[in-house]
Amino acid sequence: MLKKFLSVRAILTIGLICSLIFALYSIYCKVEYWGLSFNPSQKTNIWTIEAHVSFMPTGEPIKVSIAQPTVSEDFKILDENIVAKKYQIKKDLKNNRIILTTKQAEDMQHLYYQLLLFDNEQAKGKIKAPAPAKPKKPVLDEQSLFNLQQLITLSKTMPGDVPQKIIRYINQETPDASVVALLPLKKSPQEMLDVMQNALSLEGIPNRRARGIKLAEDKKSFTPDYMLEAYTEGQWKLYDINNGKKGKPENFVLYQRGGISLVDVEGGEDSSVQFSVMKSITSTAKLASKRAALAQQQESFDNSVFNLPVLEQNTIKWLTIFPLAILVIVLLRNVVGVQTMGTFTPMLLSMALVKTGFIPGLICFTIIVSLGLLIRALMSKFNLLLVPRISAVVIFVILIMQALTLLGFRFSLDIALSAVFFPIIIMAWIIERASITWEEDGAKNACREIINSLVVAVITYFIISSEFIRHVMYVFNELNLVILFIVMLLGTYTGYRLTELKRFAPVLKDIEDVDRH
Amino acid sequence: MLTAIKEYLSRPRRLHEVGILGMNCRNYAVIAHYNQRRLYPLVDDKVQTKLLANKIGITTPKLIGVIAHQYEVKNFLQVVKDYSEFVIKPAHGSGGKGVMIIKNYTDKVFTTPSGKELTFNDIYQHISNILSGLYSLGGQYDVAVVEELVHFSNIFEKYSYQGIPDVRVIVYRGYPAMAMTRLSTAESGGRANLHQGAIGVGLDIKTGNSLRAVQHNKPVLIHPDTKEDLLSIKVPLWREHLEIAAKAYEMTGLGYLGADIVLDRDKGPMMLELNARPGLAIQIANGRGLAAAIANIEKNYPKNLSWQERVDFVLNAH
Repeated sequence: MLKKFLSVRAILTIGLICSLIFALYSIYCKVEYWGLSFNPSQKTNIWTIEAHVSFMPTGEPIKVSIAQPTVSEDFKILDENIVAKKYQIKKDLKNNRIILTTKQAEDMQHLYYQLLLFDNEQAKGKIKAPAPAKPKKPVLDEQSLFNLQQLITLSKTMPGDVPQKIIRYINQETPDASVVALLPLKKSPQEMLDVMQNALSLEGIPNRRARGIKLAEDKKSFTPDYMLEAYTEGQWKLYDINNGKKGKPENFVLYQRGGISLVDVEGGEDSSVQFSVMKSITSTAKLASKRAALAQQQESFDNSVFNLPVLEQNTIKWLTIFPLAILVIVLLRNVVGVQTMGTFTPMLLSMALVKTGFIPGLICFTIIVSLGLLIRALMSKFNLLLVPRISAVVIFVILIMQALTLLGFRFSLDIALSAVFFPIIIMAWIIERASITWEEDGAKNACREIINSLVVAVITYFIISSEFIRHVMYVFNELNLVILFIVMLLGTYTGYRLTELKRFAPVLKDIEDVDRH
Repeated sequence: MLTAIKEYLSRPRRLHEVGILGMNCRNYAVIAHYNQRRLYPLVDDKVQTKLLANKIGITTPKLIGVIAHQYEVKNFLQVVKDYSEFVIKPAHGSGGKGVMIIKNYTDKVFTTPSGKELTFNDIYQHISNILSGLYSLGGQYDVAVVEELVHFSNIFEKYSYQGIPDVRVIVYRGYPAMAMTRLSTAESGGRANLHQGAIGVGLDIKTGNSLRAVQHNKPVLIHPDTKEDLLSIKVPLWREHLEIAAKAYEMTGLGYLGADIVLDRDKGPMMLELNARPGLAIQIANGRGLAAAIANIEKNYPKNLSWQERVDFVLNAH
């Protein structure tokens, strides 16, 4: 019925396209939201930032408010942790602050706020901010206003855009009069920012100050750096106040924006905040769960293979490579036209090669098959029945494997130790088939059959032993579905096999010669 | 170099143009389309084929006996006690595998066509191998068929080095489409397999006269062992050959089949076996493409004819 409307090939093509769309969407989600990648050895940096707040209580009830970092798109919060005994913790989501309260205390207070961040390589600088309101003119006395205006005019000679001009002018090695008039010689970052912000506001450029942390390995006891942010070209841009460098420095976490303090302490004095940073590295795949949770996809993640215990994951890792190996076999047999012993024998051989290693595997295979053929040739004199005979060959193969392993261990030959990984039954069948072919069609044909199978196995081996391909086939296992449809579509392939192009070449020439005359 | 690559890349198109049938196309577009799976046992089992053939009036080599169980093997001498020559073959064999020809059997010595002398022990071993499925298609248990040896017509004798030359006719929807005969050589060890060095001779489907001969894909003019002119072959009783082939379609219902026919000097053409997946080497022997022949039948030949009418049509086609 269905055949009337759609040919088999059309149905399969639709299936292939659907599975391809599904796979692409699924891969997109896995890359975008779960952070998985095509690179098998991709690592993600995890940064632990610790803010250590300490102060001396004054005896009144204590209220500490800590700024939570403004999470920019290039870093994501993996985990937060607050170490503060006897404190009540509240989150002020509106102002992005954490409020810790407790009754009065006596001893020196130490509060720790820990933050785990990871690089979000996928999203760097993608979000545009809406245009903020024009800044108000700064309220300044006449003299200061004059100095500021002069600074702005003079700074026009400096390179870069307006904020850069101002920053660079202020940071000249020998500051000129207008700078000296506004800033002391030994200027603090806050003082510099005051002048810069006033100048920008005077120019009508929205601006704000920002504080952030440069992530570097094992940085201890430091205070966050000040940065200037100005709204130009439709985006908030960060400027280094010491050299005017535009843009966010690498590995820089914006901790807080605007002029709000990092930590406010009520009921305490001599408060100090010190930060430390630690770097750790983890494989990207391990982070997938956290990322999925962040992207509200925890449920679909829980249903994926990544949620399985490691042992099962390893089994599945092994399984997901099979379809690709099968595809290779199908291509080699039906499109190239290689004749092998049994359909999947080469595939099983290649699987064994993966476990043994290439060269040791080939040597071992050769030893087992040649010894097996020798024994089988001797045995053919006994005229045994088929099933007992093949069984005897199986046992011989097992004995050869044992002997090789023992010899390998005794003489520390790693090559021989790999013998045990070969599928016993497959080896026995190869020996049996080869020996029958040997008797019936001669040694040449028997060797050709074995070599054909081995060549196919080696080709398959090189494909499935690639770390990259194995990683991709496992992490993006929906590709298995695509392969399924490709294999089925190949089932409708009616073109010539590559070997047929050679096989029929003489007859083609003859026919064309006859036609010509 | 560049022209060689160009030539290679153009081959699929040119092969298609001259109508050469490829393996994939044969399997997908022809066999899967015209040969229903349930009909395969009719031709895969030589015992069944023989019984069916006899029912429809096709002569086959006479059945001497069937050995179906291991315990029967020891009674083999009883089965062949009245015969001095016979053939043992697996009922589910393919490609001539497991076929043992005994040319002379006297005093418990079995002589093969090549003169090798075998003992009962060798025969016992061979039949056991057949029963355990060594030569059968899927490796399943099989039965051994013992049948009379064909006395092949001495017309062929000079053209073949040992072995029985048979005529293979490809039948498409009941119409004989292409034919060839395979001649064994010393190189092929008396076997009729082309890839082992046997000669394939393409036969004109209308006359049974040889069109050309190939060995190892290359045209040859004389038999390397007997030195006979290969282009002088004229298969006698050609119409009878075609009748057997055409009838095989009614007998099996297979739209694409290969009929292997031998010419017995006393009993005329006999059907040896049928094949539901005949190979493609026949195109090389004929120097013609099967796809072209099939397309011609599909396009120009009438449907719903009886086997006589179909043979007439083929013989009179131009």
